[in-house]
Amino acid sequence: MRVVTMLAKVDEEKCIGCKICQKVCPPLAIEVVNKVSRVDAEKCRGCGNCNQRCPENAVTMVKRETPIRVYVDPATVSREKIEELCEKARMNPEQIVCYCTATRAEEVAAAIIKGADTPEKISLETGVRTGCKVECIQPVLRLLEAAGIEPERPEGYQWYGRTPTIWEIPEEVKQKYSQRGFYFDEDIKLLNEVAKLKAEKEAR
Amino acid sequence: MRKPITPMKPRVSQYGVDPKYVKKRMAEYPGMTSVMLKDLFPDTPDVIYPSEKGISAVREAARKALEKVDMSMIKPGDSVNVCASHHGFTLLGGEPYAELLKVVRDVITERTGTENIRLRAGVGLRFRETEEYIKAFGLDKHYKGKAKGVAPVDEGIPIETEIGTLYGIKAIYDADWIVHVHNSDVREVHFHRQVDRAVKPFGMSYARIETRSTYHQNLGPRGANFTARAIFASDFVQSKFAFTAFLEMSPVGVVSVDADNDLYALNDRLTVSGCKYYGKIMTLFGEIDECIVGLDFPCPVPYVFAAGVIYANFAGANVDLFDLDRPLPPYTWYTEAFYGKDGRPLIDNVPPVNPAIKMVVHNYAWGGYPSAFFSEHVPTIVVGREQADLLNRDPQNLDYMKHAVIADDLDTAMKYAYKVSGTDKVIIFDGAVGGVNVSESLAKLLQEKAPQVSEKVDKELLPKWLRQRGIDPETIK
Ligand code: SF4
Ligand code: SF4
Repeated sequence: MRVVTMLAKVDEEKCIGCKICQKVCPPLAIEVVNKVSRVDAEKCRGCGNCNQRCPENAVTMVKRETPIRVYVDPATVSREKIEELCEKARMNPEQIVCYCTATRAEEVAAAIIKGADTPEKISLETGVRTGCKVECIQPVLRLLEAAGIEPERPEGYQWYGRTPTIWEIPEEVKQKYSQRGFYFDEDIKLLNEVAKLKAEKEAR
Repeated sequence: MRKPITPMKPRVSQYGVDPKYVKKRMAEYPGMTSVMLKDLFPDTPDVIYPSEKGISAVREAARKALEKVDMSMIKPGDSVNVCASHHGFTLLGGEPYAELLKVVRDVITERTGTENIRLRAGVGLRFRETEEYIKAFGLDKHYKGKAKGVAPVDEGIPIETEIGTLYGIKAIYDADWIVHVHNSDVREVHFHRQVDRAVKPFGMSYARIETRSTYHQNLGPRGANFTARAIFASDFVQSKFAFTAFLEMSPVGVVSVDADNDLYALNDRLTVSGCKYYGKIMTLFGEIDECIVGLDFPCPVPYVFAAGVIYANFAGANVDLFDLDRPLPPYTWYTEAFYGKDGRPLIDNVPPVNPAIKMVVHNYAWGGYPSAFFSEHVPTIVVGREQADLLNRDPQNLDYMKHAVIADDLDTAMKYAYKVSGTDKVIIFDGAVGGVNVSESLAKLLQEKAPQVSEKVDKELLPKWLRQRGIDPETIK
């Protein structure tokens, strides 16, 4: 869940139409038309990427008159399906996947089940990737992959691809570094324990 | 009792409130004193900075350290990216790190004849932070206009590693050669666990979001920093890597400058010095039974410093963060992720946030880092509505103020904190150099406990920490 209180505003006098803002906007809320950046206020999730990367400092963040609340309620889709997807992605449905918005895996799973088939749509609907814009791309891509979806990359630099997980580290690599303080197998055990629904929760 | 040490000054930044709103520092509050690290631990190393020689001591040490480095691979006309990170600028006001970056440029030009040297300064989660430092320290001028801040959302490039494809920031690698300039301050022990500390920026400030998300979501609390090793060990990075230069830090200042063509060799040296120099004060902080914490430094909440230790590590000081047999620190993003909707951990044995922290007085700290975990877990009082507004505008701190209260001024906040917490022990994270600003009651406790902590670290903990990292403790005697 994300309450969006801020909105990006472009100073058209300063904008040179370089398109950097468009290339870093997680929910694809920006389009540069006739060399001027245009923000779709309905889609802007107030993340500030455009403001932070514009080389001309042409974007300011302003307070919205009416905040927007974005949320996909996990209760509106089958619990079984959510758990299946999360299990495949090796996540606990309740674990937090976006630290800024405190979005949990189950909400992203619910968005996917309801038809969000790209990280961009997931950001638009849940608000993930609109806080720090850094840490939460992998769980999103892992959950999409678990649903059998291979999203197409947008034209910008929003994201490049899913990266390895600890379960995929080759045995010889683990061996090579086992004496250097990397506790791969022990961490796999820990993450598996988290992913497995706690027995008493299942019973509830 | 000693007078408090002058705290680090507030800094003008888009990530914090205007310094004019920082009306009173915690160290000025009645009853505060200071304890010097040298008095707590007589084996605290001597430092070259701060010292009477001023910044020239860093300059000389840097030149000396670079003498033994081979730069013959760099030919006249070659392009060189000097890669830096925001972290160094938060140490001792930032000047020593800025000076090292200047010397590195000068020496490369003198030794190789090339003038095509660019500064590429990476960031944490505040994408314009190093831009601010570049200007503040005149690095744009020193690098002849070729200095820029780079962010993890900038254009990337794939890097093939032994665990698969990871992604770096294109601008970090767009030169014939790269030079890695960093520091050994341990800082986020909760994340990197002092494993491959010197390599970390390759998986962090030089990396794209995909890689950083791998670190914090895909690998686990003790495997995370392997992303950095995987990238650095790749053929691509190895083909560009020229050398490295580090400020060797201790909680009291700059011990020396270290430089090498072999990053792993330097990494091993710094693994030892990091455990040695920071292990005692971190263990001593774990002995504090109850206290009020003051945040009063120009950095986001988890990164404010006291005696070289960041608040995020104090929030986990009830656990030995260097001990790799312990899977989860009380605070790390993996830990944060594992708290369920009912506020309870999803698995057993998640250590609680340091129960000694009874209340936090947020007198001055920035946004720009997801910090709601801290106000959710510890009663927090924020001084001044301006700071509350700043946090409420910050996309990374949407929930911080949901759990915190606001006081109009520091005096009101302190009175409230004393009353509600029932303790008179106070520790201030204000970047005081050489020691730590505390209340008299806490000073006494630290002085009493320091000798036994020192012995325990020397005899028991340090040898264990080193063995866990593949280093024979006998070799450092
Ligand atoms: S990044 Fe700035 S200058 Fe470039 S198109 Fe966007 S608003 Fe205009
Ligand atoms: S979502 Fe972020 S990048 Fe996109 S327009 Fe809004 S603030 Fe700018």
